[in-house]
Amino acid sequence: MTRYIIRRLISVIPTLIGVTFVIFMFQRLIPGDPAIAMLGEHATEESIERIREQFGLNRPIFLDREALAEGNLAGFFDSQYINYMTRLSRLDLGDSIHRRIPVLETLALRFPATVELSLLSMFLAVAIGVPVGIISASRRNSVIDSVSMVGSLIGVSMPIFWLGLMEIMLFAVILQWLPAGARLSTGVEIRTVTSLYLVDSLLTGNWAGFVDAFSHIIMPAVALATIPMGIIARMTRSSMLDVLQEDYIRTARAKGLGSRQVLFRHALKNAALPVVTIIGLQAGTLLAGAVLTETIFSWPGIGRWVYDAILGRDYPIVQGGTLLIALIFVGVNLMVDLLYALLDPRIRYK
Amino acid sequence: MTKITPEEFKVTDFAVREHRSLWSDAWRRLISTNTARLGMFIVVLFVSSATFSHFFWEYEPKKDLDYSLKLNPPNLVVTEEITSIHPFGTDKLGRDIFRRVVHGGWNSLRVGIVAVGISLFFGGIIGLLTGFYETVTMTTVERMVLYGITGLLLGMLSAWIASQLIQLFVFTGLGIATGYFERLWAGKYYRTIFFGVLGALLSALPALFAGLPIALVCGALGLLSGVLMSLTLDGRFFSNVMMRLMDMVLSFPGYLLAIAIVAFLGPGLGKGMIAIGVVGIPVYARLTRSAVLSVVHKEYILAAQSVGESHSRIILRHITPNILSPIIVQTTMGLANAILSAAALGFLGLGAIPPEPEWGAMLGDSYRYLTSGAWWAVLFPGVAIMLSVLGFNLLGDGLRDALDPKLRV
Repeated sequence: MTRYIIRRLISVIPTLIGVTFVIFMFQRLIPGDPAIAMLGEHATEESIERIREQFGLNRPIFLDREALAEGNLAGFFDSQYINYMTRLSRLDLGDSIHRRIPVLETLALRFPATVELSLLSMFLAVAIGVPVGIISASRRNSVIDSVSMVGSLIGVSMPIFWLGLMEIMLFAVILQWLPAGARLSTGVEIRTVTSLYLVDSLLTGNWAGFVDAFSHIIMPAVALATIPMGIIARMTRSSMLDVLQEDYIRTARAKGLGSRQVLFRHALKNAALPVVTIIGLQAGTLLAGAVLTETIFSWPGIGRWVYDAILGRDYPIVQGGTLLIALIFVGVNLMVDLLYALLDPRIRYK
Repeated sequence: MTKITPEEFKVTDFAVREHRSLWSDAWRRLISTNTARLGMFIVVLFVSSATFSHFFWEYEPKKDLDYSLKLNPPNLVVTEEITSIHPFGTDKLGRDIFRRVVHGGWNSLRVGIVAVGISLFFGGIIGLLTGFYETVTMTTVERMVLYGITGLLLGMLSAWIASQLIQLFVFTGLGIATGYFERLWAGKYYRTIFFGVLGALLSALPALFAGLPIALVCGALGLLSGVLMSLTLDGRFFSNVMMRLMDMVLSFPGYLLAIAIVAFLGPGLGKGMIAIGVVGIPVYARLTRSAVLSVVHKEYILAAQSVGESHSRIILRHITPNILSPIIVQTTMGLANAILSAAALGFLGLGAIPPEPEWGAMLGDSYRYLTSGAWWAVLFPGVAIMLSVLGFNLLGDGLRDALDPKLRV
């Protein structure tokens, strides 16, 4: 097992280098000069030169071959890419162009909001998707099965930004039951412990705060959960159907075990592996979907922040946000792989 | 020997059935399920309405503007105030939403099809090559090509550092040579030493003209690539490198990479297509590779090899037709995903440039008017996105059931 973990950890390294490389290249893809992008169209020649100097934009991109010709090896490696990697290794993501504050600071501030939203969505998706899949599989080709499978297919096909808008229209504009945006109503305060408002309000016994936070989070969470829910339900169903055809299920039934026991003790346990994988893979869907959901619901998380940065051409933020999301995705996939190996001994010895 | 045909039997013999090909069999299965029929109906409806309206119903988005009709709710009859019929209402510029939804289909579906085409083409080629050469040994010519390309890639760095074009030829030539003399001292340590020193010398000598430090760096690169290419790089190595590359692209969640690419390239339909297409390449590469791996051990491939068919013929004539069904299913589902991603890009203002009609962009345009009660401007484009995506998904589901041999008893 240790060898498997080490091998898997090593295999992440090229991926990480690739991810940082791609994100670095974004900076080079910007049409025009990044210094002009920072200062605006009307900047003077001098100030552009100063910015280029300050951010090292006057250095070559990968390697400096002129410095090498002069025998200056340190100069050879003094390039934008290598400097970027050194800064990155010190967790320096640069400053926001418009607001002049470090990207990492804002990232840390906004990250909990996205985490809270994603976790609740994931919880909803699993809590609804898995049981729906089990019920569909156990009553294959029944009315319940058809309805839930068509329902989950609609869920998979849902443009979540549109669903979010429809929710706002129905619950916030027409019925006026729920607020249409933000994390909390003005005036409501929750003492921060973990920065996840739902958890914090429960920990501090702030019931009114919990209700308020919940009423804000439920609409974006449902919108974000729709696609994963459909995918998880479909995966659970097909995985369960595969397992239910196995001989040991017939044996269990022949032994006279109750259908419930066969379903949960024998079938579900063995059908869990692909479901666990697909749940892990949904982390990426959730994080990418957060950009859309947070935009619609004015949710103060990373997604909306990155979206605003895209519109405002604030490239360090886009780079930092994308990097963080990609890193989380890589991390979650790694964890799923390790969990998979823990659950299925066959993988460890491959 | 006489050919047996069902007509010769007076009594129905259940053992002899009229011959049906795989595809006509799959087609029968497909149209026998309600959900697949529904999916097919939706897909045909959307594709034909988009195509017909594009060619036969003229629409000039740049001239479509009428403030007197701004944000009118849907009406099906002509009244005194509104003298024209707008079944889906009008948007903030007084444009007929029905017309824009129908015309928007052309853009939205086009993005999906082109994007999936890009992913399928590149992903398919990568998957076919990696899957095939992972198990089948390369011929000398193929090895020379692989080594030559590896040399070319390594030579690019060296050629750039020394700013000498000749480095490119030197490295490529070195690669081709190692590929050609693959059996020279095979497995001996002095093979590695020989090619390493050869690479170092060949690269360093011309680089001396650019200065000693550069010659040293180029020599080191030459040594490295000589050593690398003296080892037997087989298809497995190539496949490993390609798959790691694919993993890298896959490590960006979904269309976030597409959003990021377009955010940096600037908005536009064409860029959106490319971005979504590139993001989808690994999915098809992996799927094709695993499908190839599952058929490449079959007896008919062995038979084709033993009668001396060329590798390209085996890949095109024997492997490709046998792995089509998972790829067809994935392509149909991929179309659904690409349409969804394209709509998301459009919604974020990164897709079609206004006033060009596109479903996602139409939503992004008018969702701010939702609070003032203009639900029709948001509802209909969204329904169009959802229905078209659902149609492709239903069809893909049906195709999977129809083409899956496991279900065939």
